[in-house]
Amino acid sequence: MLEGRPATLTPAPASHRPALELVPVLPGVAALRTRELWLAAYFPRLPLDALLPGSGQARAAAVTAPDDPRRSIVACNERATRQGVAPGMSLNAALALVPGLRVAERGLPAEAALLDRLGRWALQFTPMVSLEPPSAVLAEVRGSLDLFGGVMALWRRALAGLSASGLQASLALAPTPRAALWLARADLAMTVTRADAMPGLAARLPLACLQWPEDTVATLQGLGLRNVADLSRLPRAGFAARFGPQLLNELDEGLGRRSMPRRRHVVPERFDERLELPAAAELVAGLQPAIECLLGRLDAFLRARASGVSVLRLDLQHRGQAPTRLRVALAGMAGDAGHLRELVRERLAQCRLAAPVTALRLRSGVLLPLTLCDAGLFERGRSADPEATARLLDRLRARLGQQSVFGVSPVPEHRPEYAWRVAEPGRTTPVPLPWPAAHPERPLWMLAEPQPLDCWEGALVTGPERIETGWWDGHDVRRDYYVALSSAGVRLWIFRERPPGQGWFLHGVFG
Amino acid sequence: MSGVAELLRHPALWRGSDAGAPRTVSTGFRHLDARLPGGGWPLSTLIEFLVPAAGVGEIRLLLPALRALAAATPGEPRWIAWLAPPHLPYAPALADAGLDPARMLVIRPRAGLDRLWAMEQALRSGVCAAVLGWIGAAGDQALRRLKLAAEEGCTPGFLLRPSAHRAECSPAALRLVLTPRDYGLDVEILKSRGGGPARIERLSIH
Repeated sequence: MLEGRPATLTPAPASHRPALELVPVLPGVAALRTRELWLAAYFPRLPLDALLPGSGQARAAAVTAPDDPRRSIVACNERATRQGVAPGMSLNAALALVPGLRVAERGLPAEAALLDRLGRWALQFTPMVSLEPPSAVLAEVRGSLDLFGGVMALWRRALAGLSASGLQASLALAPTPRAALWLARADLAMTVTRADAMPGLAARLPLACLQWPEDTVATLQGLGLRNVADLSRLPRAGFAARFGPQLLNELDEGLGRRSMPRRRHVVPERFDERLELPAAAELVAGLQPAIECLLGRLDAFLRARASGVSVLRLDLQHRGQAPTRLRVALAGMAGDAGHLRELVRERLAQCRLAAPVTALRLRSGVLLPLTLCDAGLFERGRSADPEATARLLDRLRARLGQQSVFGVSPVPEHRPEYAWRVAEPGRTTPVPLPWPAAHPERPLWMLAEPQPLDCWEGALVTGPERIETGWWDGHDVRRDYYVALSSAGVRLWIFRERPPGQGWFLHGVFG
Repeated sequence: MSGVAELLRHPALWRGSDAGAPRTVSTGFRHLDARLPGGGWPLSTLIEFLVPAAGVGEIRLLLPALRALAAATPGEPRWIAWLAPPHLPYAPALADAGLDPARMLVIRPRAGLDRLWAMEQALRSGVCAAVLGWIGAAGDQALRRLKLAAEEGCTPGFLLRPSAHRAECSPAALRLVLTPRDYGLDVEILKSRGGGPARIERLSIH
């Protein structure tokens, strides 16, 4: 598919109006300039390339649709194509043709990640890059032509990059994003630089390059329509009424009658730096200077971007061994180097070095914009500033462990042990108060598990309160609860299983 | 007589009873307020409760003050930190008692040293309305650190310790011995900075 040069320009068939104006590229000729010029890169085998990179030609390989009882083929490599496998075929049919077919189920996340990587690659040509999921990348390159030395130089550069990547790709240049996309899907490898050239080219664009729903394409073919030029000759109102205004809009976008705004592909910035230690460190203390250095760089990085992070990853790399990975998750977002330093130090103090450390790598999660708020000068300590709360939680968790710091939340439930749950501090489900209306007093403290009372000395104060419920989920309780006073003077909440005979259990302390 | 009253108003005269004029929050018990300097629990310092057994009524004694402390905030409500409690604070009962469960922060460190450290962090952060700490045995120096942290964070720290520590010296501004009696509580004021001599106050709490 990838040819060294764009297709040579052929004279237009006389039957078409206006005459086909595929213009040879003449860089720097102002008359030929359109306002925009879009480079489209289409990856027909992206589902395959994302899952089986470098599957090459050694063995026939195919990717199947995930939620399909027939497991029909979505994409296959050239070797499989040569042996008769084609997209749309059921897996059984494909296996009958090629018994040794290598099969993988389509992985949409992997495809999205690969497309994202391709988007980053395209950012070398222009800041205006837009993804066209599932399998195309668009880049507006008009402004970059002079930098790269003209259309041809840019074209060759893009082509070389894609060839090196080993991905199956086809390129096209056109004045509108939709047109470039069509040309790339049709694998015409063309550079069209004049805005009025598209209608003339339409006859060479088969319906398949539109990638419209299959039944729509089948209907159109049933009407005897073969290419985009045929479509453009249809009455507009009738077309819109029959196939919907969306498809008419697409047609207009492709033929340059309508603009097509694109969303920019923005690559989130992250901090990622590695530092070799001058000598392998065997103790955590030996890492300290290197960590200080990395954190200093992180601080400068965050400061320059007025950003904070909510997660940090620190890899301790060893010689000939998998790195020790540490993760510091923050309750909120932090941009304060002192706080980050403290957290990393606490986290490191918890860890034991499995082997001498030769290098460190510090990575940030996604950067988040930092909003500055001025701290009240006189109101110090009067309200729970969320940032100070997050700092406290981070510090406690870094040393004590994530599970050791939590909040509690009531749950509307009659069984006492299910009437609460552990929650993230401050993220409690609000329960309408009073909760639940008019039940007898509950103890302020609950035991994790009811504790059998072997020899019980004390007095019953109030009770019984019968709780008999929960038969539907297998954790049913049938209990009589009493408030009791122990010999030490502690008010207890105790119960007796029903029917009686299984002794007494302590469940709560009134405190 | 009037001469004495005039003398007492002299700015250079310092009296034990108004040492630093501590900011306080009412305990919710009139008789107890009357016995405490400033008329309530002092803020920004340590208050030590010595109890014969966990659960004799120390939380119920604290509840009115905790309610007031948690509510008396203009901005975002502050936290009530439970540090190493002997059992889990029960959210439905807290909600019944008028404390918002969403503002509870339970911290359960494993080791004793971590308890002191965590309590110091919670006190110093200034985001807690009160810190309740079951820290167990602690040296004088460790308690002094906690007291400084409480002053710095303007947060009252309530220490709940077994009565066995009664004879030890403690930097807490207020030390009380709680003894359960007939569904109520005897509160013995062991030490009170700027207050009168030790005495016993009998409270009936429910």
